[in-house]
Amino acid sequence: MAGYSVDPDVKFVKEIQKLGGESLKKCFQCATCSVICPLSSDEKPFPRKEMIWAQWGLKDKLVKNSDIWACHQCGDCSTYCPRGARPGDVVAAARAYAIREYAFPRFMGNLVGEGKYLPVILAIPLAIILLVLAALGNLKIPAGEIVYSKFLPIKFVDSIFLPFAGLAIISLGLGVRKFWNEMSPSRYRHLVGRNFFKSLLETIGEIVGHVRFKKCGTNVGRFTAHLAVFYGFVGLFATTTMVVFYEYILHRETPLPLYDPAKILGNISAIILFIGISLVIRNRLANPDQSSSYFDWSLILMIFGVVTSGILTELLRLANIANLAYPMYVVHLMFVFYIIGYLPYSKLAHMVYRTVALAYKRQVETIGM
Amino acid sequence: MEKKYGVYICTGCDIGKSLDIEKLAGVAAKSKVPICKNHPILCSPEGVELIKQDIAGEGVNTVIIAACSPRVMYDVFDFGPVLVERVNLREGVVWSHEANKAGGEGEEAAIDPEFQMLAEDYVRMGIVKAQKGELPEPYKPEEEINKKILVIGGGVTGMSAALDAASVGYEVTLVEKEKELGGFAAKLYKQAAKTYPYTDIETPDIQSKISAVSSHAKIDVRTETEVARIAGAPGLYHVSFKPAGTETEWDVPPKVVAEEEAKAGEGAKPSEGGEAAQAEAGGRVYKDILAIDENAERYGAVVLATGWKPYDATKLDSLGFGKYPNVITNVMMEELASKESLVRPSDGKPAKSVAFIQCAGQRDEKHLPYCSATCCITSLKQARYVREQGDDAKAFIFYKDMRTPGQYENFYKSMQQDPGVFLTKGDVVSITEDAKKNLTVEVDNTLIGEKITVNVDMVVLATGMVPTTQNEAILNLAYRQGPSLIDLELFNGFADSNFICFPYETRRTGVYAAGCVRQPMNIPMCEDDAAGAALKAIQCIESAYRGVSVHPRSGDMSYPDFFFARCTQCKRCTEECPFGALDDDERGTPKPNPTRCRRCGTCMGACPERIIGFKNYNIDMIGSMVKSFEVPEEDGIYRVIAFVCENDAYPAMDMAAMKGLKLPAAIRVIPVRCLGSMNMVWIKDAMSRGIDGIILLGCKYGDDYQCHFAKGSELANRRMDNVGETLKSLALESERVKLVQVAIDEYDKIPQIFNEFMEQMEAIGPSPMKGF
Repeated sequence: MAGYSVDPDVKFVKEIQKLGGESLKKCFQCATCSVICPLSSDEKPFPRKEMIWAQWGLKDKLVKNSDIWACHQCGDCSTYCPRGARPGDVVAAARAYAIREYAFPRFMGNLVGEGKYLPVILAIPLAIILLVLAALGNLKIPAGEIVYSKFLPIKFVDSIFLPFAGLAIISLGLGVRKFWNEMSPSRYRHLVGRNFFKSLLETIGEIVGHVRFKKCGTNVGRFTAHLAVFYGFVGLFATTTMVVFYEYILHRETPLPLYDPAKILGNISAIILFIGISLVIRNRLANPDQSSSYFDWSLILMIFGVVTSGILTELLRLANIANLAYPMYVVHLMFVFYIIGYLPYSKLAHMVYRTVALAYKRQVETIGM
Repeated sequence: MEKKYGVYICTGCDIGKSLDIEKLAGVAAKSKVPICKNHPILCSPEGVELIKQDIAGEGVNTVIIAACSPRVMYDVFDFGPVLVERVNLREGVVWSHEANKAGGEGEEAAIDPEFQMLAEDYVRMGIVKAQKGELPEPYKPEEEINKKILVIGGGVTGMSAALDAASVGYEVTLVEKEKELGGFAAKLYKQAAKTYPYTDIETPDIQSKISAVSSHAKIDVRTETEVARIAGAPGLYHVSFKPAGTETEWDVPPKVVAEEEAKAGEGAKPSEGGEAAQAEAGGRVYKDILAIDENAERYGAVVLATGWKPYDATKLDSLGFGKYPNVITNVMMEELASKESLVRPSDGKPAKSVAFIQCAGQRDEKHLPYCSATCCITSLKQARYVREQGDDAKAFIFYKDMRTPGQYENFYKSMQQDPGVFLTKGDVVSITEDAKKNLTVEVDNTLIGEKITVNVDMVVLATGMVPTTQNEAILNLAYRQGPSLIDLELFNGFADSNFICFPYETRRTGVYAAGCVRQPMNIPMCEDDAAGAALKAIQCIESAYRGVSVHPRSGDMSYPDFFFARCTQCKRCTEECPFGALDDDERGTPKPNPTRCRRCGTCMGACPERIIGFKNYNIDMIGSMVKSFEVPEEDGIYRVIAFVCENDAYPAMDMAAMKGLKLPAAIRVIPVRCLGSMNMVWIKDAMSRGIDGIILLGCKYGDDYQCHFAKGSELANRRMDNVGETLKSLALESERVKLVQVAIDEYDKIPQIFNEFMEQMEAIGPSPMKGF
């Protein structure tokens, strides 16, 4: 007997519900969502099919499906859904599940993904930083002019962060490989490989312009907010790169003066990121209908933490309030660690999974399978 | 009673300003009507008072009101035992025709003589109608009208109907074939909640209904009992009962088909005399329908609530019922669920995963072409039974469309919420069994996007409802037209009708169907239906008691009179009556049953000897109206008569007039009770005096008929074949007579219908019979 043998996984259904898709069982498959979705394609529409896969607990179909990453959670489908099934939230939950599913090692996905482990998750970087400080004998507020690099030299900062960043990259690479293997049907895999770089570049081009995000109707505010956060991060990444260049090539001392191009770029980026993440928070609070899970909020608050603590670290240094400035620096480093070290397990991993999925979809469309 | 006539012309509502009222009054004077008055607002208290004074002071007893349509102000112009005729000048003339001929430059527009003539002709016709009519008197049979109600079927509908009727004081006999009351509702493990928020399942409330029925002083419950025959008519039924499943001497004879009767010949005809009257069929000797059972009980009306039977699941070849022990029906599932634990039939293993297959035969031309309305709710409910076993239990529902009528959408929504209930649209391709009797269901065209297979412990087929009236007479009516309700094939065997505005009514006056025998429906709908049918039964009894028609001509006191001396026993009236009101005797002479009659006049239209008529509606009356007006002989002036059905076509014409749509002035409209009452002699009379054409406007007929008397317009259409012969004998073109079907909302088509007919007449040319 031919046919896909179905054995629903009720646990999976409940997981998706817990991750923000609690309304998923309300769907009665009218497909209004697929019709209204500005990002859906005629050939392979979504998110109607994702809804029934979620309802039936068909984990293997839902998690490896590239279409869940094509969704940018505009909310049009959730607004127009006649049953209040909120497909946008369900697909977002599926993405959250996918990040945990592909996480390497698995337990890290669970640690980052569940609220009860947050203290542990934050205690790890804090402990490492404090241990390094203790080893350096710097577990006290230094006297004199506030210079963070004297307190915790950049070499030490990097020696903490670079290995963890490396681990994050490896872990993400393993996750993406698993995702890729599941997503692409084996008999087509070699075809998908061809010209993949071109599809990837095109996809990145799209992301830079937020082309897909712009198509969203209901939640237009999210476009601006996400764009600001995106470019805030891009700016800060560029700043970091410049500082690394200054540090190891030019051997310039920090803090850099306020007129230094790297400083200017860093400060502007920080402000943009701060505005962006504030808008994200405001949008979420203004739209109580949309489900906001721990998975969403943890990343939002960590970004808010990293940017606020970063700005405060700078301001407190300029104001020369040493008693607050040094602890704030430690807090800032903790948030930075969260962002970088836990990237494969937090919502931030979407930037990689989505890029890969979109590039894959583009490739599939080009090849025409 | 000598008639004293009074004509009253209203000059309001544009009538006075468009017509020459003096000339109109002259028509009345010429017809020797002693009193003719006009009033600017005849329907005002002053106008009505004017008429009342003449009735009281001048002894006027026949009033002709030339004003608005008879469809309005009928309560205002009701003067008790006074014959009132209405001439429709407002909608029929001034609002629906151009009053003035377009005058030349500088000329004052004058009243078009054709327009004035139309109004005058209508007054003439009204006076003639009044002359030929008599005030009807209510029908009072010798036998006293009985007010007891017989309810057949002791399920949820029957019991509800019995309680409803008994609670307002009517004696009820409730007959149930089975040993216990309750029907299918009593066999349920749980029912979907009947009250807000309609999201849960609950213990069936049928037991409280059973005890209420059993303890009600006015309800006589008879279980294990069937109806052998129902003889007589509403208010006058004689019902013979018998123990269920037995044969008695009073079993009603099967319908005698015309050919068989002819074959049987004279010898086999029932002999004379009540008690001895017998009929033979299928080797069994039956008592004739007119024979009287001395032991029969008397009833006034019948509520038919015999419900349904489950469709035979063995006919569903691909679904494995009867082949695999773990494939069961939804009816069997209720039984299984009622036991201590839900285990499957093959090995008593818990049925932890169960697939429900919706539309197991329903909405399939090969099985049941209709939706059974309840199976989706039932499967959702039974999915709950499965899920009650624990969180590891799974229920799959494969459907064509989920249909949960009424508030049960809430139940559907609540069941969807259960994470262990899996729903998808799909076509079940096959069901197979493995060595351990586990089943695999293969489903194609699913919403999951491909063909799927699911392994389950048990499969439940959501089979549909087959009405009990599908193959059995049940009512066992001692009617010449046969023991069962007729034309039920239009409704897949359900005791339903196309009386869309009048549910519960069947083609047998006095018999009201409710519940699943009428349409597939769920328990709350059955209870509502029962109330409707009980009210209809009461309406019928009370109408029979007052001697008036029950429906659709509610309150009509007239009924058909037969001039038997001239009857040729052709049986046409008995056969054509849409309601089986006539039972001919052994010689073929019709025996009227006025309380069965709906006063449509189909018998009057059918009778070739023209011996049937009503006091206020008869052959002579309409025939005289046809002859009452002048047919001009000038070239280019045509006269056409439109016989218009009062039920839908006439209101449509009134509506057209209200919308200001204009009609040709050459047409004289004569309203008829039903096109079925059209006697061909009227057409002959009209044509032979030079009328150019005749158009009949009636209701739609066919499978989706809209005829208020079910068969009237269809019969009229059939009789049109004979019209061709009549016209030929007069050397006239057959195109001069035409039947057009009009629905009540098609008022906008009326001008086109009439204009096209006038063009057709002009193309044929004037009638050669003019001036003869």
